[in-house]
Amino acid sequence: MNDAVYTQLLDLACGAFLLAAVVVLWLRQLASIVRVFALQGVALAAVAALLGTYDRRWEVLAVATGIGVLRAGLLPLLMRRALTALAPAPGHPYEEDVSEARETEPLVNVAASLLSAALLTLLAYAVARPLVELNPTPATRALPVGLAVVLIGFFTLVTRRRALAQVVGFLLLDNGITATAFLAASGVPLIVELGVSFDVLLAVLVLRILTTRMRAAFGGTGLDDMRELSDR
Amino acid sequence: MNVIATATVTVAGLAAAAALAGAALPPRARAVTAGVCTAALGAAALAAGTAALGGRRWSASLPGLLPPAGIHLAVDALSGLFMAVGGAVVLAVAVYGIGYAAGHGPHGIASRGAQAVLPVFALALVLVPAAASVSTFLLLWETMALTSLLLVLAGHRAGSPARQAAVRAAGIWYAAMTHLGFVLLLAGLALFAAGAGGETFAALRAGAAGMPPLARGAVFTLVAAACASKAGAVPLHPWLPRAHPEAPGNVSALMSAAMVNLGVYGIVRTGFDLLGGGPRWWWLLVLGAGALSAVYGVLQAAVASDLKRLLSYSTSENLGLALVGVGAAGLFHATGNRAAASLALAAALLHIVNHAAFKALLFCAAGSVLRATGVRDLDRMGGLRARMPATTAFFAVAALGAVALPPGNGFFGEWLLLQSMIHGLAVPGVFTAIVLPLAVAVIALSAGLAAAVFVKALGVGFFARPRSAPAAEAAESPPTMLAGMGLLAAACAALALVPGLLGDGLSRAVAAAGLADGRPLTGGALGVRLDRLAASLSPLWVACALTAALAAVSALTRLTARRRRRGNARLWDCGGGAPTARMSYTATSFAEPLQRVFDDVLAPEQDVNVTPISESAYLVERVRYQRRVPDRIEHRLYRPFLDTVTGLGRASRRLASGSVHLYLGYGFFGLVALLLALAVGA
Amino acid sequence: MNAAGAVGPAAVAAQVAAVVAGAPLLAGLMRQVRARLEGRAGPGIAQPWRDLRKLMRKEPITPVGTGPAFRTAPLLLVASTAVVAALMPLASTATPAGVRSDLILVVALLALGTVALALAGLDTGTAFGGMGASREMTVAALVEPTILLAVFALSIPAGSTNLAAIVSGGIHDSARLASPAGLLATAALAVAVLAETGRLPVDNPATHLELTMVHEAMVLEYAGPDLALVELGAHMRLTVLLGLLASLAAPWGIATTASAAAVALGLVLFAVKVALLGAALAAAEVFWAKLRLFRIPELLAGSFLLALLAVTASYFLTGE
Repeated sequence: MNDAVYTQLLDLACGAFLLAAVVVLWLRQLASIVRVFALQGVALAAVAALLGTYDRRWEVLAVATGIGVLRAGLLPLLMRRALTALAPAPGHPYEEDVSEARETEPLVNVAASLLSAALLTLLAYAVARPLVELNPTPATRALPVGLAVVLIGFFTLVTRRRALAQVVGFLLLDNGITATAFLAASGVPLIVELGVSFDVLLAVLVLRILTTRMRAAFGGTGLDDMRELSDR
Repeated sequence: MNVIATATVTVAGLAAAAALAGAALPPRARAVTAGVCTAALGAAALAAGTAALGGRRWSASLPGLLPPAGIHLAVDALSGLFMAVGGAVVLAVAVYGIGYAAGHGPHGIASRGAQAVLPVFALALVLVPAAASVSTFLLLWETMALTSLLLVLAGHRAGSPARQAAVRAAGIWYAAMTHLGFVLLLAGLALFAAGAGGETFAALRAGAAGMPPLARGAVFTLVAAACASKAGAVPLHPWLPRAHPEAPGNVSALMSAAMVNLGVYGIVRTGFDLLGGGPRWWWLLVLGAGALSAVYGVLQAAVASDLKRLLSYSTSENLGLALVGVGAAGLFHATGNRAAASLALAAALLHIVNHAAFKALLFCAAGSVLRATGVRDLDRMGGLRARMPATTAFFAVAALGAVALPPGNGFFGEWLLLQSMIHGLAVPGVFTAIVLPLAVAVIALSAGLAAAVFVKALGVGFFARPRSAPAAEAAESPPTMLAGMGLLAAACAALALVPGLLGDGLSRAVAAAGLADGRPLTGGALGVRLDRLAASLSPLWVACALTAALAAVSALTRLTARRRRRGNARLWDCGGGAPTARMSYTATSFAEPLQRVFDDVLAPEQDVNVTPISESAYLVERVRYQRRVPDRIEHRLYRPFLDTVTGLGRASRRLASGSVHLYLGYGFFGLVALLLALAVGA
Repeated sequence: MNAAGAVGPAAVAAQVAAVVAGAPLLAGLMRQVRARLEGRAGPGIAQPWRDLRKLMRKEPITPVGTGPAFRTAPLLLVASTAVVAALMPLASTATPAGVRSDLILVVALLALGTVALALAGLDTGTAFGGMGASREMTVAALVEPTILLAVFALSIPAGSTNLAAIVSGGIHDSARLASPAGLLATAALAVAVLAETGRLPVDNPATHLELTMVHEAMVLEYAGPDLALVELGAHMRLTVLLGLLASLAAPWGIATTASAAAVALGLVLFAVKVALLGAALAAAEVFWAKLRLFRIPELLAGSFLLALLAVTASYFLTGE
């Protein structure tokens, strides 16, 4: 693989990675959000695979495969199952609140979220600039992408009401951190990556249980209902 | 003798003659004589400015005229540009003013006082850019502010009580803001003169480099704040949308087209020429204020339904765009890209010239409408194109300039501004990478919204059918007013078709500002090319191509049509049949979608009042719906401050008990305390 | 030399002719594709031309109470779009108009047509005319930042806003097109094109419900030859904007030299590209629903974000 093609492919993968994060902010249907998140997992795996192939570090390729399986396969699957658990039972389409499947009213409206994402990207670029200048390779140049996804993920976490959308925000954050690690240092040691992945998996499982409990307690997964739990 | 010298002396002489004529002559001859003299004053200033743009320079010191500092005047290309713009506006508006004053009673703009003050205002307007020392500059600046304040107040005894109250409120706001600005300017320039060791501009220029960075920053911030307030930049703008609408038509044209420009002049003169450029944060400040004014101004204009208020907010927007250009020029200068800097400054200056032409025309046309109908509310206008065809045509020409679309005159300036942004990207650095895309977005958004604003103003105000009795009975303005507007329309057309002729003058003005780097744009009548950058535009070609295409389409339509005679039919309106005028879209309804889109920014106030019939809660007698879009910045920033000040004033009433001894005692104790402090401090 | 000198002007004339003649066919093709996908037979792709011919034969009508703005707007719409068609390097970059084909100018000329029609809508003084004008101007105002920012992103690699330079740069350096910046800018521009031409999901060109109309509400009062011009103008706008998209995203085949054969090939490829884009758009429209008017700002904010990302991506991915 020559340099030009490598750079081009890496840039494209990073572009897709960032774009997926933006699209998550744009969409309302939780099912579509999960689908886009899976695509982002694919893009992340592609970034890792490209870095591994270019540097001829085969263990990175193994990590890339792991990332692909976990983030494009397993996590979306778990979330989809959580979604179907929330959906109305077949035969009784009108019984349940339809808004469960949608992020109806985020705290910051969608247009404003998108504009904020634009500003966050610029911020990420400004912050990462000195780091990039230390060692400008194609990989480090794409470093702002990772940071931007971290910020956008955090933003999602702060502004979305549905528990599942928040899970996606958390996972975006984690995806961003992983991407930053890969782009800055060609990945972390295998054992650390494994640990992180395990943590993420665990977190999603816990959150899934939490959503089910919430639904049992409040009849919905709107996080604003949690206020009722506080003792006043 | 130098042309500029002759012209400047003529300007002063004519101003004196016009002021005397305005003060002394009987009412009938007053307006004509003063108007003709003021127009000649404008022409002389235009000549002086043009000569300066052509490369001539002139300076004079009259130490005996205003001891101890004396009067210092100097005209270079940069001053020349602003003198020429001011002079041209004064010339056309003075001609317009002759007819405008004739239609008003003994009070208001036709009164002895107003006619005597107007020439002095014009004089200050064209001479501020020629000032070459701090004291001269401050003197002329304050003269300009005071005379314009008197002129704004000219209408305080005419019209309905509500209108009179509005004039008074506008006068108070204007007086307070302009003097706040003056204090800042005074402080800044005094600091500058003290640091540089001299008060002439030559001494300032020589001494600026030796000043500590902190002092330079303080000088620039103070002067820029004062000038930005004069230019109507957000958040120092609240006086502008109050004072400009309440002033008489010709005065608001002078203020909005010529006076506000001097704010930008002050920033350019101080920032580039006298201080010799500065660090990035200065210019980011200017650019930020410009971007904020551009977007906020145009948004407020988009939801305004008062025609003159709409135009004032649009002034805020356009001056904001010019400030964006100035700020970008400063940023490029600070990062060492001199070619991009000179291009951005040239774009900003060109935008000011274009804005002056179309905004003077817009305000004159709005003044004509106000004079003919007594109506400023777009919701109550409509149908004017049938009764006032010439005024409508002039308004349309100016509006085409204001929406920055070809073949109007605003397009070229904004094109140049965008080009300077695109080519400024060659400058490496985080600042340009982040600031420039946002600046482009701001320019584009304000251009897009400006299109909506002027479609509203023209389409709702002048087209369709009259929505009120005064609008239905409007009559065309007298010939002198039309002649004044005709001059401005001709200027708009010339600027639209052959802006290349200004190329050399702009290059010289940019060089005079201290950004000498070749000639940023070259070209003649046919088109404009940018120096070292691959971009060219030929407005004349575009206009010709459009005309040719129009002719071709129209000829082809006629050829292919079977029946050539146009038949009349009543409006279809989806089968509803000819609707009444009350059913048509008003300015408020036109702006409704935009207002909903920008709900979070504008924060409109809505009030629904339902009065049920007394016997039943379900039957409604009356529903009253009211919506206002207040100036949010004014509400959030100025109201709390004013409330605090009022509260303090109330509280301090206890200090004034009415005892003369107590009042004298305050002075005595103050004096003793001061002396004590001096004694202890020494 | 002489022949080569004549090819340039001929190419311009051919572009304009192709756009004028082909625009109704494109509209017909899109309706046909849509009809087939919806299981209808469809009227054939020449139907818009037949409609135009029928309208041209009718008596020109001036509704009472309208003024010059109402009468000149259709002419101005078609004329400004024709000038744009002449300016753009649709089939060849080596035309005499090529040096003047500034992208900002193209955008502004297209906006001129919108403004003219909006004024005409207000000139009728009907509620529907005003409503259409108001909505159209709202959308146009919000589209502007997206378009100019996309323009900005596309002109960074070329160092110029000249369309001919951008297109020939794309032909010679095709890696530029597949870079994230290029792709994002093209995507942003595509959304902007949908909004500018009043297609789904922004506006439904086939709607017959006045309250949901945007563009159609504005031109309700037109009849006869005037209506024919308005329709033709709308078709030409769509063609030109799809052509712009095609020549920016896939510039291959556009002639860069003044040879007759290359220009002819460019013209054929232009027709093919626009037809493909149009068919794809029509197919996509079958699956889309019209957005609520107040959801459109979200769509445009999204495309604005894409354009901004395009600009920043051109810095941090391949930039300095």
